[in-house]
Amino acid sequence: MQQRADSSQLLKGVLDLAVLAVLADHDSYGYDVLRRLRESGLNEVGDASVYGTLRRLYQAGALTTYVVPSDEGPHRKYYGLNDRGRKALSESTQTWTALTAALSQLLNGRSSKNGG
Amino acid sequence: MADETQLNDVATYAAAVRAQLSDLPPGQADVLLEDLEDHLAEVAAESGAPLAARLGSPAAYAAELRAAYGLAQEGGRRWRFARLARLGRWIAGFESYRAVRGYLPELRPAWWVLRAYLLVLALAVLLRGGRAIHPVPNPLSSLGLLEIVAMGVAVVVSVRIGRWSRRGDRGGPWPIAVGNVVVAFAGLVALGGMSTPDWNYGSPVSEPCCVRSDVYAANRPLTNIYPYTADGKPLDGVLLYAQYGQPLMVGGKGSGVTTQYPMGADGLPITNEYPQRQTRLDGSVVPRPRVALPVVAASPTPSPTPTP
Repeated sequence: MQQRADSSQLLKGVLDLAVLAVLADHDSYGYDVLRRLRESGLNEVGDASVYGTLRRLYQAGALTTYVVPSDEGPHRKYYGLNDRGRKALSESTQTWTALTAALSQLLNGRSSKNGG
Repeated sequence: MADETQLNDVATYAAAVRAQLSDLPPGQADVLLEDLEDHLAEVAAESGAPLAARLGSPAAYAAELRAAYGLAQEGGRRWRFARLARLGRWIAGFESYRAVRGYLPELRPAWWVLRAYLLVLALAVLLRGGRAIHPVPNPLSSLGLLEIVAMGVAVVVSVRIGRWSRRGDRGGPWPIAVGNVVVAFAGLVALGGMSTPDWNYGSPVSEPCCVRSDVYAANRPLTNIYPYTADGKPLDGVLLYAQYGQPLMVGGKGSGVTTQYPMGADGLPITNEYPQRQTRLDGSVVPRPRVALPVVAASPTPSPTPTP
């Protein structure tokens, strides 16, 4: 349980990046974004978190949105990246890459020291 | 797919989530919850299980939404605001409060006039330069007259501002609200530091302002000064000033003697004009004392009728 809570804390910080990355692939609606995140292995991510993140990114002007009527259920609100969203994604990607590289080095150094 | 039960489930669940977020400002709630129902319907369509079983309680869902949307959790500051709001509702429940609340807007023009008065009063106190300011300006003095004129102008401006800021929605622009508070505070401070007006101009003024001299004459406090010209003519209405230009006032008080100061055109007593007119308790005027004039060499005295 504690481990689950920790992982969701970590996830919160990178959810923006994850959602932007999913939408960069192709436009998508809320529930589909959630499904694709889970397919990528982010099982901990909550439905409300994805929905809230989408609304916030949209409010911040990073996403475009349009409604697609659906035969089988409710009409779907699709989200896609606009220029600002793509810029945010590339900036966040750089930050993330630098951060993970530094963290990996740190963790690897620790484990090799422990090992040898 | 979306059968009746599912639609009901979605509506109930969404309503419960909305209720949890009812403390959000309307604009923010609209943006956040715009297509909550559609989204939940999508989730519900995925399987037959009730939403609460898949998504957790509406309260937990709302809390997660809040966090993801970047809003502060309910509690802490919000909790205190909620308490304040509850206190406000409790007060609003009283009949007498609602009655006052009802006629309060009618008093608005009165406040516009009052704030103009307080503003001029506060400015007058700031700029008085050592002179006493009274709550009711004296129209016979130049400063008082200036105050009255300034109050008239300020009232006109204040009413205009008031009418202008009330035009649109309720609540004027915030600089005016801040100004109101400042004027009210400064005005009350100015009023608090004031003495009551002294309308009885002929009466003795016991403690006027100004510099006192602690001069003693023959071991007794100085109570009056009698100037003479060099050739021994008594002078009246002589103004005396100390070395820095302050009006000179004798410090001593004769027992059973009151001093009447003449009034200046500005309505303030002239405390340094000598000899001072002093009366005893029985109303008799203190007479000029006999003085021993120095013997001076006879000099040509200016004569009003020069002889050719």
